Amino acid sequence: MARFVHFTSIRAVMALFTLLLVSLIVFTLMELVPGNCAERYLAFKNTQGSQISIADIKAEEIRLGLDKPFVQRWVTWVGNVFLHGEFGDSCILRVNINQLLGQKFLISLGICLTSLLLAYLIAIPVGIIAATSNNAWLNGSLRFISYLGLAMPNFLLALMIMLFSTVVFGDSLTGLFSKEFRDAPWSYDRVIDFLSRAWLPVFILGWSATAFALQTVRALMLDENGKLYVTAAKARGLYGRRLLWRYPARHALGPIINSLGFDLNRIFNELPIVALILTLTESGALLLEALARSNDQQLAGAIIFLLTASIVSLNFITDIALALIDPRVRRSVMG
Amino acid sequence: MTEPLISVRNLTVRFRTDEGLVTAVDRASFDISAGEILGLVGESGSGKSVTAKSLMQLNGDNAVYDDESRITLRTGDEVVEVLSLKRPKDMMVIRGGAISMIFQEPMASFAPAITIGDQMVEQLQLHSAMSKKRAEEISIEMLNRVGISDASKRFRQYAFEFSGGMRQRAMIAMALSTKPKLLIADEPTTALDVTIQAQVIDLMKDLVDEFQMAILFITHDLGVIAQTADRVAVMYLGELVETGSVRQVIGEPAHPYTNGLLNALPTIDDIYAPLIPVPGDIPSPLDRPSGCVFHTRCGQVIAGTCESEVPAATQLDDGHVCYCFATAAGQAGQKAL
Repeated sequence: MARFVHFTSIRAVMALFTLLLVSLIVFTLMELVPGNCAERYLAFKNTQGSQISIADIKAEEIRLGLDKPFVQRWVTWVGNVFLHGEFGDSCILRVNINQLLGQKFLISLGICLTSLLLAYLIAIPVGIIAATSNNAWLNGSLRFISYLGLAMPNFLLALMIMLFSTVVFGDSLTGLFSKEFRDAPWSYDRVIDFLSRAWLPVFILGWSATAFALQTVRALMLDENGKLYVTAAKARGLYGRRLLWRYPARHALGPIINSLGFDLNRIFNELPIVALILTLTESGALLLEALARSNDQQLAGAIIFLLTASIVSLNFITDIALALIDPRVRRSVMG
Repeated sequence: MTEPLISVRNLTVRFRTDEGLVTAVDRASFDISAGEILGLVGESGSGKSVTAKSLMQLNGDNAVYDDESRITLRTGDEVVEVLSLKRPKDMMVIRGGAISMIFQEPMASFAPAITIGDQMVEQLQLHSAMSKKRAEEISIEMLNRVGISDASKRFRQYAFEFSGGMRQRAMIAMALSTKPKLLIADEPTTALDVTIQAQVIDLMKDLVDEFQMAILFITHDLGVIAQTADRVAVMYLGELVETGSVRQVIGEPAHPYTNGLLNALPTIDDIYAPLIPVPGDIPSPLDRPSGCVFHTRCGQVIAGTCESEVPAATQLDDGHVCYCFATAAGQAGQKAL
């Protein structure tokens, strides 16, 4: 038990270190974008009709602390993020990023995690059955659905559903809330309204994730099933479900858990496109806005950092889960 | 004469593959008596493992057994027709019940994420209604018996924490804990160091006496067979070519293939002696030679006969049988004199 606590804390420290490294990369990327926040804000003001001078920019830089050395600014940024969960102000909108992102990031994370959960809840049992069943019809149709999910781009699926829904229901199902709830405070009705719309992005993101996970689970199961220890267990008289769950399925679980982290990453990558098409006002859409249109490095940096932090956290959790179920991992990390 | 423990008659196993039916074992017949060690020898791909797995119906779903194939197991008063068992529940008699099996790779034959003890206890409880505590006691006792020190600690460990020889000992302990009548050992010593090999073979011989159990010992190593077995069956391309006692087969080999195998053995007496391999390669099972399957590599081919006709059994001495036209002709000549 003491060893396990030791292992967990080491992994936690490693995860924190990874996050620190990520923050450095993100911060550097933000720096690499030509111009800085001061110039960008004043340029923005310029488009609003104000006259600006070099002195104005200098004054703004000093006010924002941009005259300080790179490392010092990074430390300040990281310190604020880690200690206070504070990302500072957006370059252009000049509002607090925490306020701006608010629940949007949580909603994005929720949508992605739900898709992931859904994908694996379907893929694990179906993949295991498909790998062990000799039913050609079942295997064939599963493979067909699976390839359909892998081959069809998410944006196409989203467009098709929108089109269908517009023709049939007269509502394109876009957005995360209906008009009347968009700016309303959270209430029971608003939650229901949210769920009645959030299923669509969850479904679209979950669709290809399920197809992907299904292939992974099936391949892993086929792999385990062909191993000698399964034959040896059979030779000892084990059969049926007991054999299946205790031997190949249990041993395929480790790599399946391992693939969770990759899949969350993939879903995050697909989210902005789906968000754009469904005009979702969550953080994926905000990231596109910040990166592509307004060039708001502070906001983009904050979102990228949060996304990476989610993936690092999930990987931390899967590492711990892996050690819990696999004695070999436990042994290799704890000696 | 008492009935043998297990009788195999005309065992023919084919596999359905994309290239069509592939014959792995062709009309193999042999007996194993209680308490006897039968060595099954042959090159890789000769059908040794498929033959052995047939005794437990462990060949994959694509295996087809010929209608005339019979495997009859006699345990006490009970007679079991192995190949007519259809449900896995019924097969428990042959799988871990009357027959146990150990494999070439002891590491791979234990489930990596389940302790050795848990796998042993599981098997014991599967085959008899005993308490978990009793099953644990028996398992630890067995581990002790096969020479694993600190057995109660080892019991709670995983296969990857064992050394190679220790794993094979544990595998033997697990296989014998249910007191089978027949142990199938599929190249049990091939993956082990020579010194460990000798230990494991000694252990198995001891256990045969102690448990009054028969062993089907599969190997490509005639040296191991000479030390271990009572009787030998030599297999080539799915067919038995010669059977007999160790003394008969290794002392006075009758089949050209057995001769070839013996000549191919390196000797320690003359380290400069050239090795004489059996010429040619074992043909693909997809393209089995007609007539006698060995005629493509045989030095004693009788033209016009060996390519077209299948040799019948020639009885040499008591229990020494050879399937070869050349041997048959030689014997006929001797009798005529």
